[in-house]
Amino acid sequence: MTASQQSVSPSGTSERSQTGTGHSQSLLARDRRFGYLLIAPLLIVLLVITAYPLFYNIWNSFHNVNYLLPPLGGFAGFANYSKLFTDNEFVPALLHTLGFTVVSVAIETVIGLSLAVALNKKFRGRGIVRAAIFIPWAVPTVVSAELWRTMFDPQQGFVNFLLTKLHLPLATTTWLDSTWTAWAAILIADAWRNTPFMAIVLLAGLQVIPSDIYEAAKIDGANAWQQFTRLTLPLLKPALMVALIFRTLQSFFIFDVVYIMTGGGPGTSTNVLAYLNYKAFFALFDYGYGGAVSVSLVIVALIIASVYVRVFRTEEATA
Amino acid sequence: MNVWPGSNQLRSFAAITAGGLLIAGLAACGSSPSGSSAGSQVAASAKQTIVFATQGLGTEGTATANAVKAFEKIHPNIKVTILSLSPTSDVAEQQLEHYFIAGSSTPDVVTTDVTWPSTFARSGWIANLTSFHPATSSFFAGQMATGSYNGGTYAMPWFINAEGLYYNTSMIKTAPTSIAQLVSEANAAVAAHKSLKEGLAFEGDEYEGSVTAWQSFGAQIGLKDLGNIDTPANVAALTFMYDAIHTYKIAPSAVTGWQESNVQAAWLSGQTPFALNWPYIYQLSESTTNGKPTYPAVYGKTAWIPFPSATPQSSLGGDDLAINAKSTHKAAAYELIQYLTSVSAQDTRAIFAGDPPSVTAAYNSTLYKAAPYYENEKGVYAVVTPRPVTPVYPTISSQFQTMISSVLSGQSTASAALGSTAPTVKQLYQTGS
Repeated sequence: MTASQQSVSPSGTSERSQTGTGHSQSLLARDRRFGYLLIAPLLIVLLVITAYPLFYNIWNSFHNVNYLLPPLGGFAGFANYSKLFTDNEFVPALLHTLGFTVVSVAIETVIGLSLAVALNKKFRGRGIVRAAIFIPWAVPTVVSAELWRTMFDPQQGFVNFLLTKLHLPLATTTWLDSTWTAWAAILIADAWRNTPFMAIVLLAGLQVIPSDIYEAAKIDGANAWQQFTRLTLPLLKPALMVALIFRTLQSFFIFDVVYIMTGGGPGTSTNVLAYLNYKAFFALFDYGYGGAVSVSLVIVALIIASVYVRVFRTEEATA
Repeated sequence: MNVWPGSNQLRSFAAITAGGLLIAGLAACGSSPSGSSAGSQVAASAKQTIVFATQGLGTEGTATANAVKAFEKIHPNIKVTILSLSPTSDVAEQQLEHYFIAGSSTPDVVTTDVTWPSTFARSGWIANLTSFHPATSSFFAGQMATGSYNGGTYAMPWFINAEGLYYNTSMIKTAPTSIAQLVSEANAAVAAHKSLKEGLAFEGDEYEGSVTAWQSFGAQIGLKDLGNIDTPANVAALTFMYDAIHTYKIAPSAVTGWQESNVQAAWLSGQTPFALNWPYIYQLSESTTNGKPTYPAVYGKTAWIPFPSATPQSSLGGDDLAINAKSTHKAAAYELIQYLTSVSAQDTRAIFAGDPPSVTAAYNSTLYKAAPYYENEKGVYAVVTPRPVTPVYPTISSQFQTMISSVLSGQSTASAALGSTAPTVKQLYQTGS
């Protein structure tokens, strides 16, 4: 029996008389009140730093709040939202962002998984190799993006220098000056920075798989590929799901790499939602339109997260 | 134990949450600026500290620090704290705007690019200086106009800037008088000199610099032109930027990622015979270290002219000084502005940091004796053209930047890009006026 069940009187007398007579109930109530008191500061901080900006943003998105074009605060209805679909910036940026998310997560998963499997094998110098592979993840994204921008410089950059030395094609490419090469550069810079994260999480997942099941599989005549697809992958699924959720949402919010490397260019061909959002707030000071972009960003992110959670749940239920 | 609260607890929990949300909501609605009073003003003679927000690295930063020290000597009761803004102009503008939106009473004095004052004045962020009776006639009229809004004076010119074409006289013997001549001279120089990596360097990155370059190449984008920017002169200037890279191949495709500093590096190292840039490069080119030229590739070989388009013009740049509308030290702040715009302070800065004076009287024998090249700069200043003075300039510039970038990368032709940008710019211009 639970504590609360104990406190309910069988005759169903009112709660008021219960608190008066039931000693255990009043103690419990005081305990609870004390509990709320303890979490109150945390709750207030959360309200201030999470709820306040969120509601402020939603309020802005329904008003005219362009600091460069006062007066501020007139009710705008859905004008800021309808602008999203008429201004030729939001929809392309949304498509760019979704495309980038799918491609970058796919690349990082494949490479990250290969790295994790390799690093799970015993070999000489494994500790050093493991440490070396995780270094990019310890570099702040701004720094790594600036580094890659320099590497892709057509005159002083290492990429074209290397291609020239190896007599490979594309050695005279101005990488950040056309749509597809700019995207390639962004994807490379992003994968370099984030694949180690994928590898760390997957490696942790691999390490908890007991080795005796592989021995049993070997005795049953399973080859390496069968072991990987029938044992490793299914057992790695929980870790893989966690890594995928993290990386998908992070990729969806991509900002720093684009900001540093291309500024959304050439033209608007590498414009992504977070960068559009930044421009709306910090370059054009249109908090109404920026608010509408933010709210849309949050809604799409919530959809992505809920799809993952659902897939995760059904996987768990069938497991 | 059941951790889910009973109905009473649930109610109090809901009350706390609702109360918190209410406070949050009220605060959100209440935080729109309501033009609160600027507070009582401190007299200029009182002991006080004022904050001066300004950009500037290297010699410019040192020049500012020296000027502030000299000012503090004359006004011992006023201490000036320098607030360093980002060296990237777009970022510096954002930093200032955040102070203004937050309603901060500091910084008291702000450095603004010539394109910012009308935006700041319209939003009520900077103070109307008319009551101080500024000596507006002692400045270059074109730059003085950048500080006025609705008939009032909101910003005073600090130093003037203009963008012109540098050429290396050791390789280019005669100044080009047409674009065709420039292209042929650039090609001939690259063919003749192994040390050259390109024929022309300019800023083509997607930022404000690409707009000034476009204007210096001949684009007509003054206030009166914004109704229709799809004109032959603008198409020609934009086409030249594309052609320089892709048709004449005198500029490397790398310029699509170049900002001022990249052009500066290309010029000073002597890898290009032509470069589009601002006057500070002249001072650097002629500078010496321990009696020896700092940049031998260009020392004594530098000439600077307006870009030779059909009707040559140079983009007006430079910085103005303004006072935060919420400052409680406006009198002391104006004292600082008066000092920084005095003839002697302007000459000192011009000689030390290469920032050309905004005060016409500062072009005197003292300046020419110490830095003779200022006499050669007059030709470029004679044809300065301002960018449109309008509060919506940031939005219009953003349109220009995207348009130029899409043309330089070959995604769109100059005429198609101008055709599609013109209606947007017209609409923006109308909402802003």
